[in-house]
Amino acid sequence: MIKDQSILQAIAITLAQAIVLIAVSPAIVGLIRKVKARLQCRQGAGIFQPYADLRKLFRKQPVVSTTTSWIFTATPYIVFASTVTAGLLVPVFASQMPLNFAGNIIAFVYLLALGTFFLILAGLDAGSSFGGTGSSREAIVASLTEPAMIMAIFAIALTAGSTNLSTIVHKTALLQGIVTDPSSHLMALAALFIVTIAETGRVPVDNPATHLELTMIHEAMVLEYSGRYLALIEWASGIKLLVFLTLIANVFAPWGIATSLTPTALSVGLGVYVVKVAGLAILIGTIECMFAKLRLFRVTDLLGVAFILALLGLLFFYILRG
Amino acid sequence: MTGQTVTIAVGLLLLAPLVAGWLSLFIKGSRWLHVTNLISIGTLVGAEAIIARAVFAQGSVTAFGEIVYIDALSSIILFIIGTVGLACSLYMRSYMDEQVARGVIAPKRLNLFFFLFHMFLLAMVLATVANSLGVQWVAIEATTLATTFLIAFWRRRESLEAGWKYLILCSVGISLALFGVVLMYYSSLRVLGDVSSALNITQLQQVAAQLDPHILKLAFVFLFVGYGTKVGLVPMHSWLPDAYTEAPAPVAAMLAGVLETVAVYAILRCRGIADQALSPDFTGGLLALFGLISFALASFFILLQHNYKRLFAYSSIEHMGLAMVGFGVGGTIGNFGGLFHLVNHAFAKSLAFFAAGNIHRRFKTVEIDQVRGLTTVLPWSALALLISGLALAALPPFALFTSEMQIVTALGSSGLPREWTQPGTKFPVVMLLLCSVVAFAGFLYRITTMVWGTAPKDVVQGERWSVGHIPIILLGAVLVGFCLALPVSLRQFFEMASTLLVSR
Amino acid sequence: MTWLTPHIGTQLVDFGSAMLLLTCFAIVAQRRLSACVDLFALQSLFLAMTAALVAFLTGTRHIYIAAALTVVVKVIVIPRVLKGVIERLNVTRELVMKVNVPASLLICGALVMIAFFITQPIIPFGHLLTRDSLAIALAIVLIGFFTMISRQKAVTQLIAFLVMENGLFLGATAATYGMPLIVELGVFFDVLVAALIAGIYTNRLQDAFDSVDTTHLSELKE
Repeated sequence: MIKDQSILQAIAITLAQAIVLIAVSPAIVGLIRKVKARLQCRQGAGIFQPYADLRKLFRKQPVVSTTTSWIFTATPYIVFASTVTAGLLVPVFASQMPLNFAGNIIAFVYLLALGTFFLILAGLDAGSSFGGTGSSREAIVASLTEPAMIMAIFAIALTAGSTNLSTIVHKTALLQGIVTDPSSHLMALAALFIVTIAETGRVPVDNPATHLELTMIHEAMVLEYSGRYLALIEWASGIKLLVFLTLIANVFAPWGIATSLTPTALSVGLGVYVVKVAGLAILIGTIECMFAKLRLFRVTDLLGVAFILALLGLLFFYILRG
Repeated sequence: MTGQTVTIAVGLLLLAPLVAGWLSLFIKGSRWLHVTNLISIGTLVGAEAIIARAVFAQGSVTAFGEIVYIDALSSIILFIIGTVGLACSLYMRSYMDEQVARGVIAPKRLNLFFFLFHMFLLAMVLATVANSLGVQWVAIEATTLATTFLIAFWRRRESLEAGWKYLILCSVGISLALFGVVLMYYSSLRVLGDVSSALNITQLQQVAAQLDPHILKLAFVFLFVGYGTKVGLVPMHSWLPDAYTEAPAPVAAMLAGVLETVAVYAILRCRGIADQALSPDFTGGLLALFGLISFALASFFILLQHNYKRLFAYSSIEHMGLAMVGFGVGGTIGNFGGLFHLVNHAFAKSLAFFAAGNIHRRFKTVEIDQVRGLTTVLPWSALALLISGLALAALPPFALFTSEMQIVTALGSSGLPREWTQPGTKFPVVMLLLCSVVAFAGFLYRITTMVWGTAPKDVVQGERWSVGHIPIILLGAVLVGFCLALPVSLRQFFEMASTLLVSR
Repeated sequence: MTWLTPHIGTQLVDFGSAMLLLTCFAIVAQRRLSACVDLFALQSLFLAMTAALVAFLTGTRHIYIAAALTVVVKVIVIPRVLKGVIERLNVTRELVMKVNVPASLLICGALVMIAFFITQPIIPFGHLLTRDSLAIALAIVLIGFFTMISRQKAVTQLIAFLVMENGLFLGATAATYGMPLIVELGVFFDVLVAALIAGIYTNRLQDAFDSVDTTHLSELKE
């Protein structure tokens, strides 16, 4: 537990964080779609369209294939829960989170991996070939992004001296001046950015707006879902995107985050957070318009690049100190 | 020699090729091109003579406010540049005209040829007389750029390939040398503190003992590898055989005789500075080791050659290696032998390439098997080939024999520098002598096959005397003459220069 | 500019050098030639900004001139020449690579470590040379060298050479606050002429060989 934080305050902040994550993520997805539409000289749907989509999906009755097992119906809840829990481990608008005793980077990575694991199983569960294709592709991408992500976050953790995310953010936020180890951090940032794009299924790894099943990775796995299950899974992928963006924004540029628990600090923290995440979302939208989707065997090249960048970030830390 | 005359001479040294080069772009008619060429080279030689006298009297010459620095070592290199340049210009008189007459090159390209040739000369002179190591680097890179198109002048596929390899390999090597220059600048800044003159050789020589040895070690290694690429030391030599084969004969003569010597000069300058902070054994050992390896490898390749121009290219690598051994071993005899060897090699190699050029023009092939009976077909060129071949094989009574013996003596008496081998082993000397016997055998076999025998039926016989034969006669005479009796002034020059090189 | 303490200044210079290294890796990982040229232009821009920063922090005026020259020559002129060459030759990508992308990236990482190891004995000079910038400069030179060996297209080899020159300029600026102005001007002139010559050369290569794949340049042998 953190000092000078009563249990009530702790619960309040945790709840607030969860609500922020859950509430803001569809807007972020909508923002990316809007940016892409504008760059493609279309009007595009409004930023708040995903909320309407989710409401529509919750009202509809789900249709479940008879060839599926309990995994199929349990997966949406598991994915949603694990993603939100992982999100609670990352500092959002306050750098000292109450739950930081419960887990660190490794827990974060594996909570997300839990969701991915169940999603892969669910894709296979219905017995359709498209689901199998999507699952096998997702397995390739996930197995390649995991080492890169861990290496990148370790590089940062070494600078801050702890694997606890809130400790990392708190220490970096309090440090006067800019990042202490630019080369190592830069490599880690580049690696983490590529990992974000891969994990959340954005161009150039996977096209989230495609209708062609042969080009799908994430969409193919959720092809069989409908109604509230689909709504939960879509929401969870939005939250996953938001969590990754939060990770990047708050670990590499945490200034503005609330380091104390006064109301002014908290509101400033919230405002700065929204601005940062919106900025990153616009960046991702722009990148999606600049590149074409890579063919699958090129994706492994890209992820290899991410891994090596992360490795270099780690090495730079040791060499520059030593 | 008043200071003013010297300054004017230095100015002429730099201006003559510059002006002549730009004029060559606009002159019409090959006769005037050649005349301009000869005038500029003549001015060059004249200016050198004046400077040499001044150096002899004062020890060193600086001009234009420390931009130019010439001492005994630079004068020797200038002497090589001037004489070989003059010989090449005379040779070009008949060579280029015949190529134009045969329609190998368009008359307009002759302008480009002379422009590039003069830029090449200017760059080499600048590299020799520049006081700042940085300007020296710029000049040596400029020689690479000027000669790329000269090598690929015939525009055949093989020439383009040779030119591209040359451009890339030499530029890469010289970039590494730039890193060495940066390191040298960095170490001198910490001692001198003045930004604009910290790369000057004059300043560096004064404070050399205070420079940081670690940085200097690193700097020297980079400089050696970089400029060593230009010299053609193994393993950075792969551009050399192709470039010499494909280049026109006068260009090949200049490359082999002069450009490699200028690169050796650059290495020696840096070595002179590095030696006062490091132990001379380190730099000497590096030079001697690479020289020995180049000598050995090149002599084996000579055995395998079936292309006479490539034969001479490998002989260049071999002789440069030998000169490096001489400089590496050090001492008065070693340095004297090395310098003498550089001069002799320049003369012998240009003679060899002149002969090769004539043979190529007549026989239209570079294969040794297809060239026979030179004594009947091209008597003067046969003489030239014989003289240069025997000289390059280091036989008496040619001067290369003397210089090689001096180097072997130095190696035998002091051995390779302490840091690199056990003191007292005779292995390097044995290896050197063995390899030179191998090279000797290869050379002699090839040359004699070409010179004697019956001439092929379809080759026109007889050689008309032309201006291009004057340098052949002169160079041959000089090669024999130097072996028998070195002019006193030259000998004193060599001794001055070798004292400069002997580390304190 | 009181917040621009020497400590922060060092950080900024380090940051610039790290961006240079990152673009270097991006060039190695790229297959499309026009992307390589764009990345080279971006790298030169970062170089110019780092040099200008060093000039501002140390008050050495002549580095500004070198930085301006970098922008003109390496960001504008040379990429334009190269783009023209690529269009004329109609080569778009490196099809077969001797060393594939992940392996070459690993080798480049190893070269970075070697560069740091080599520059270890050099003691910091003043507050702006942290060992990093000089080491990064040597790393860029070595990476350019490796790229030149492992790539086949003549244009890529030329870009690798220019990357080496960028590394050298960074080394000179970071270690010694730039070299004497004459030397800087001479180096720029050399680089420009080298790029122009290589541009003309690739043209001739294309005419003679109908390709600029240097594996075809293998007729001259022992």
